[in-house]
Amino acid sequence: MTGFAEEARPQEFRARLARLFNYEERSAVLFLMPLVIVLGGVALFPIGYALYLSLFRLKLTRPGNVPFVGFDNYLLLLEDSGFWAAAGRTAYFAVVVVVATTVLALLVALLLNETFRGRRLVAALLLVPWAVPSVANGLMWKWIYNPDYGALNGALLQFGLIDRYTVWLGDPGKTLLLIANALVWKEVPLAAILLLVTMKAVPADLYRAAKVDGANVWQRFLHVTLPTLRPGFLLVIVFVSMIAVRQFDLFYLLTEGGPGDASTVAAWQVYVESFRNLSFGTGSALAYLLAMAVFALSWIVIRTFGRRL
Amino acid sequence: MTTAAPALSKPAAIDPWRRKARLAEWGQRAVLLVASLLVLAYALGPVVWLVVSSVEDEAEIVSVPPHWLPRRPTLQNYRAIFETPEKTVTYETSSHKDPAAGGYIPSTAKNLLPGMANSLEVAFAVVVLNLLVGVPAAYAIAKIRFYGRSAAVYSILATRVVPDIALVVPFFLIVKKLGLVDNILSLIVTYLAITVPFTVFVLVGYFEALPDELDKAARVDGCSRWQALRHVFLPLAVPSLVAVVLFSFLASWNEFLLALMFTQTTASQTLPIVVASFASDFTISFSFINAAGVIAVVPPILLALVFERYIVSGLTAGAVKG
Repeated sequence: MTGFAEEARPQEFRARLARLFNYEERSAVLFLMPLVIVLGGVALFPIGYALYLSLFRLKLTRPGNVPFVGFDNYLLLLEDSGFWAAAGRTAYFAVVVVVATTVLALLVALLLNETFRGRRLVAALLLVPWAVPSVANGLMWKWIYNPDYGALNGALLQFGLIDRYTVWLGDPGKTLLLIANALVWKEVPLAAILLLVTMKAVPADLYRAAKVDGANVWQRFLHVTLPTLRPGFLLVIVFVSMIAVRQFDLFYLLTEGGPGDASTVAAWQVYVESFRNLSFGTGSALAYLLAMAVFALSWIVIRTFGRRL
Repeated sequence: MTTAAPALSKPAAIDPWRRKARLAEWGQRAVLLVASLLVLAYALGPVVWLVVSSVEDEAEIVSVPPHWLPRRPTLQNYRAIFETPEKTVTYETSSHKDPAAGGYIPSTAKNLLPGMANSLEVAFAVVVLNLLVGVPAAYAIAKIRFYGRSAAVYSILATRVVPDIALVVPFFLIVKKLGLVDNILSLIVTYLAITVPFTVFVLVGYFEALPDELDKAARVDGCSRWQALRHVFLPLAVPSLVAVVLFSFLASWNEFLLALMFTQTTASQTLPIVVASFASDFTISFSFINAAGVIAVVPPILLALVFERYIVSGLTAGAVKG
């Protein structure tokens, strides 16, 4: 009697296992295996490793002495006024980039939403800034802003807008705005494409109805186009703000955080702390705070804007 | 004579209305034209200026006000880059302008081509690995109902939200420990962290748009999951595959931060790193730096223009999903 029951149990177990883990699930596991291995190795593990590192006082200049300090690195940062100044600059930079990109992209999308000859050509050539590598983008704007021979000085002088050459990037009040301009130039195409797609999804009937009701062009834009573009705006805001907050390349190429620390944003601070001060513990803690801020930011944006869509 | 008068006056009677309509049409056309020209000037102006100032000679590049059009266009910078290494331009053989004014082409000009080769190697490897990893995973997420599916989607999304700079420190220590510093393998592997999540999102979006019935029909006909993917979905997914190939290629070609950390010599330096190395040297001619910039800019721009359609549809698919 007992033997019979014991025999039945593994069978039952196997059947249950088969139900839980059928052919579909098995193939799904197989298909996802490479992805799991790759993302585990190059994303999840490093993220965990960074958290681990941030709990130590790890300075490459003192390889033998790596004490565990718990959350001291974080506390040190949170008490540091330089950290908060950099956080403020990052926020300012991100807001400038997001607002400027969204406005310009909206104008471009409105243009491309019209039908006219040459529209395809304009749309195609618009991709040029998107494709430009960030290194070339940085060099290009550095050359344009060049204090001695740059195009910005030259053009403004020729138009009589300035009476002598200016050291553009040397002005702490303008540096962040000028770097923001370089980033906006590169991000407008993608933002415009995203807005254009949502624009195309607006049914033409809505416009016709508004026209019949006597709405003029401006009213149609305000009450039909803008509200229906909300999902597009949400996408653009999330995308561009993430790019702006993480931006490193342009700061490295254009100003190296200067003049003084006028363009020292969070990403640049991570770099300086880790690779110039060789303090990997605080560098990792800083990177973690930045990552959490990006997480929180995207969550808040999606939450607040997403609900009103 | 009298019969002609009414014939003439008839169109004249319609004219004001017609003229108004035509005027509005012309006005609209003019507005669109001006707006298009403004957009093009904004998007292309800086790049055109980069190209223009790469073919100016020393005297012109430092002229005040700038020469908007080169008066004596020269290809000396490009010659220095593409010339055979035996005939490299050195400090002594470079143009005889004043070096203090930035009048010289660096002997490291010849590093640009090996840098380009490294960039190509890395980009090709990243593209292939992206396809191998991304295609089956995207198919599984889009078409197979399995436990933990939405968790998989969210964790992939989460990995993409982490800033690259946060990954640099752990990557650097791992790469150092593995002895892969100054080896393009370190770039190939770490670039997967940047490219694979986006690849999966673009492909999932595309696969989900294909009808489930296709999948069911293939399975009823006795296809295994693998066969369904290979014989039914892959041929249909070609446009999205093109987009994915382009995105991962461009992302690796353009990547700067990780390459800056892990490369040291021409054995592994990618094009962006070589180009950036000129910028910090004040003795190098501005026109040469611009020429190096043009070298880095031309391949991605050509790809973007040739495959514009695929890029736009891929970007929207990936963005809407992500």
